Amino acid sequence: MTALGRGRPYLYLAPTLVVLGAFTYLPIARLVEMSLRAPGLGTSLGAWTGLGTYATLFHNPLFWRALGQTCTYVFISVPLTMALALGLALLLNQPLRGLGVFRTLYYTPVVMPTVAVAALALWLFNSNGGIVNYFLARLGVSPVPWLVSTTWVLPTLILVSIWKNLGYYMLIYLAALQALPLPLFDAARLDGAGPIARFFSITLPLLRPTTFFLSVVALIASFQVFDFVNLMTQGGPSNASNVLVYFAYQQGFSYLQLGMAAAVSLVMFALVLTLLGFVSWALNR
Amino acid sequence: MSRRVATYAILLLGLLPLAFPFYWMIVTSLKPKREVFTSTPEWLPAHPAWDNFATAWNAEPFARFFVNSVVVTVAIVGLQIVLGALAAFALARFEFRGRRAFFWVIMAALIVPVQVTFIANFITLAHLGWLNTYAGLIAPYAASAFGTFLLRQAFLAVPRQLEDAARLDGCSGLPFLWHILLPLSRPTLLAFALVAVVTHWNDYFWPLIVTSNNSVRTLPIGLGMFIGQEVTTDWNLLMAASLFVAAPMLLLFFFLQRYFVQSFLRGGIRG
Repeated sequence: MTALGRGRPYLYLAPTLVVLGAFTYLPIARLVEMSLRAPGLGTSLGAWTGLGTYATLFHNPLFWRALGQTCTYVFISVPLTMALALGLALLLNQPLRGLGVFRTLYYTPVVMPTVAVAALALWLFNSNGGIVNYFLARLGVSPVPWLVSTTWVLPTLILVSIWKNLGYYMLIYLAALQALPLPLFDAARLDGAGPIARFFSITLPLLRPTTFFLSVVALIASFQVFDFVNLMTQGGPSNASNVLVYFAYQQGFSYLQLGMAAAVSLVMFALVLTLLGFVSWALNR
Repeated sequence: MSRRVATYAILLLGLLPLAFPFYWMIVTSLKPKREVFTSTPEWLPAHPAWDNFATAWNAEPFARFFVNSVVVTVAIVGLQIVLGALAAFALARFEFRGRRAFFWVIMAALIVPVQVTFIANFITLAHLGWLNTYAGLIAPYAASAFGTFLLRQAFLAVPRQLEDAARLDGCSGLPFLWHILLPLSRPTLLAFALVAVVTHWNDYFWPLIVTSNNSVRTLPIGLGMFIGQEVTTDWNLLMAASLFVAAPMLLLFFFLQRYFVQSFLRGGIRG
């Protein structure tokens, strides 16, 4: 083989490696640098300051609040979405006619832009003329201040995100269910295992790789929650829906504290990596 | 029998909260302003106001945003396919030093979200003078680890004998990729392209970071600005605008849903 022939695979890989290097890997190094240096003029950097930025960040109560609220959001929406998705997938995995229509309809919100979903949710949950409160009134429930109360704002955002994302998780669980070996279920049935026993002793363990994959996807995605917050609440009311990415965005673009924003991003990245490590340990034990 | 009825009943019940918002979005978008706020809701607009769509479309430079969205989405997805096919070709059909390492370097990008890197990328693009340009919107997404992975899976499935036979006929290297691997991987290619089109058409975060000028803003950013202006007033116009921003993806999905479903079956999700 000629030298060119041997170099070929590297040549084919080069464009991808350049793009990922420039916009995915180098930025991490750059974030580290930014977080350790004082801000300079415009987008340039000043003197090295050590860990001062992190000290300031860890003394900022709003950071801890955003972190806590992000965790609440993640640890409620992820298990809830996955449990609902699995339930739906089990229902849709039966040999019944017309289930394809349901599968399509349940998946539709996934292809909607987050911005359109945010606009729609703002209207549905509006305190002035929103249809959700109208339905509640018909049921004799007093109006709920969905997006304008510090207690209700996070649950409302979680609800909207479940509505938007459920179909994706449902479809992947469904694909996994359809690939399960049927003879195993027949054998269990012959041994007298009921549907509930079959679910817990066969289905759930066999779905473990899928559950692992989906937890990873869901954790990464939900830790980054930003669109709905920026579009529907701007972190409010009184920061009750401020989350890490929104906090970083504010630090960077509202207060021009680029080093602080970089530090927040890195802390968030470290958190996601730790969580992923934990999930893979827990599910691959 | 009873189990079948129960299944349908639960699915229909679940469909209500899922489908009602769509219905309400469409109905609201067709209402004249005086029918939007009524003490008892108007379930159907008495006088459908079709011109809401034209009014909303002209309330902002949505035509400009639409063109920008098309250019950016097409460029991103095109680049992702070209770069992904080349990288996947190398990873799937060549023996070379560091192949495993390169594979994992590319896969690791999947766990570095843009929401982590955005500040650094913003600075990089500022130094390149790429803020408020198509290049700035496109470049960070020009390569896709997910796409590379899917195409590699598809290329791996093509038997070795086919490659040997093609080589005997004088077809190797890039012609082999173009004439044999890619056509054989068409379902994967289409499935990936669909998911990528939806992702980047709908993307709000990155365009929000790099654009501050209507000449390069995309539809989601335009709609986001519209939300800022119209909230608490013209819900009919906002719903109309939301519909025309979402419509291309909804249409794409309804006509090609078979391939959407396949994209997940092919996603290598079996662990």
